Amino acid sequence: MRQGRTGGNGKVQRRGAGASQAVARAGAALLLTAALFALAGCEDVNWRGTDISDAMPALDFELIDENGQQVDEGDYAGKTTLVYFGFTHCPDVCPTALARLSAAIRELDEPTRDAVRVLFVSVDPERDSPEVLDAYTEAFGPRFIGLTGDKAALDAVTNRYRVSYRLGEPEADGSYDVDHSSAIFAFDSGGDARLLMRDTDPVDSIAADIRRLVEKG
Amino acid sequence: MRMFKGTLVAGLLSLLAATPVLAAELEISDARLRMLPGDRPGAGYFKLYNAGDEPAAVVGAETNAYASVELHMSMEKDGMAMMHGVERFEVPPGETREFAPQGYHLMFMKPQQSLNVGDEVEVRLILEGDERVETTFEVVSPAAL
Repeated sequence: MRQGRTGGNGKVQRRGAGASQAVARAGAALLLTAALFALAGCEDVNWRGTDISDAMPALDFELIDENGQQVDEGDYAGKTTLVYFGFTHCPDVCPTALARLSAAIRELDEPTRDAVRVLFVSVDPERDSPEVLDAYTEAFGPRFIGLTGDKAALDAVTNRYRVSYRLGEPEADGSYDVDHSSAIFAFDSGGDARLLMRDTDPVDSIAADIRRLVEKG
Repeated sequence: MRMFKGTLVAGLLSLLAATPVLAAELEISDARLRMLPGDRPGAGYFKLYNAGDEPAAVVGAETNAYASVELHMSMEKDGMAMMHGVERFEVPPGETREFAPQGYHLMFMKPQQSLNVGDEVEVRLILEGDERVETTFEVVSPAAL
């Protein structure tokens, strides 16, 4: 640098190069500063989902599992737990959401997969018995568990995570539609709420978030 | 003998599936039926290309494999996933439109036979003007995207 400035013939040219380098360096320094600020302001800049650590309560429910057993959050302690609300008569949105989660889990290595559970909470207990849920979740893989409960138990969970569901009016043949939340809630192995994902998120984003959650424990 | 006949039909069907079906200059491709376990409803997805000069529209569908089929659209509003019936699905001339997961889909209700992944199901799309175009849907896993 110093030599460049005191040089002979190449002086002007070198000076020019030196100036643009200096600008580049200043730019890089600015970027670095901005990145550091971002890091300081928010530790988890790399999450693809929305960080809900401070916004949502820890995992807490009392429901019936697909084997007909009464279960609560303690039964899944130690696992990174993803919770999705839906119903099995849902032809498009629910299977697509579970298929995305299934594909994301398949991207993980075996020990990481084992550290994950997906709880599919049916808000349609009238039609979704434990037997139905068992056959249904089986189609998506061994880490998928179907849960349901009576209206009071379901309302307690949905209210807790500020989501809602609505059973539609029955058609002539008795079938009815159900509106439900499109959110996927992710809890860490300690049961604390960590991320809100969407059932439309790309598989790679979901996989990256699950991997980080498992790594962080 | 019966099995032989089934194989022959399946063979012919797969031949049909390999070439896009043409009617009203509407080409259907990538048709698949994502089944669910038991008597749960399936979803039909496919691509439609309108090779003609006039708009074409799908107004319904029917199949022997399910009691009824409806055109549906999934949508999301305020964090809620919901679904509603669609009367008519238009494909402008020269354009491709898609029935795809978390959007437009055929809802197949009440299976009339037990289906397995890899099976082929004949579906007749009902077009505006009461024309029908038959196409083969491949049965795919619930976990297929």
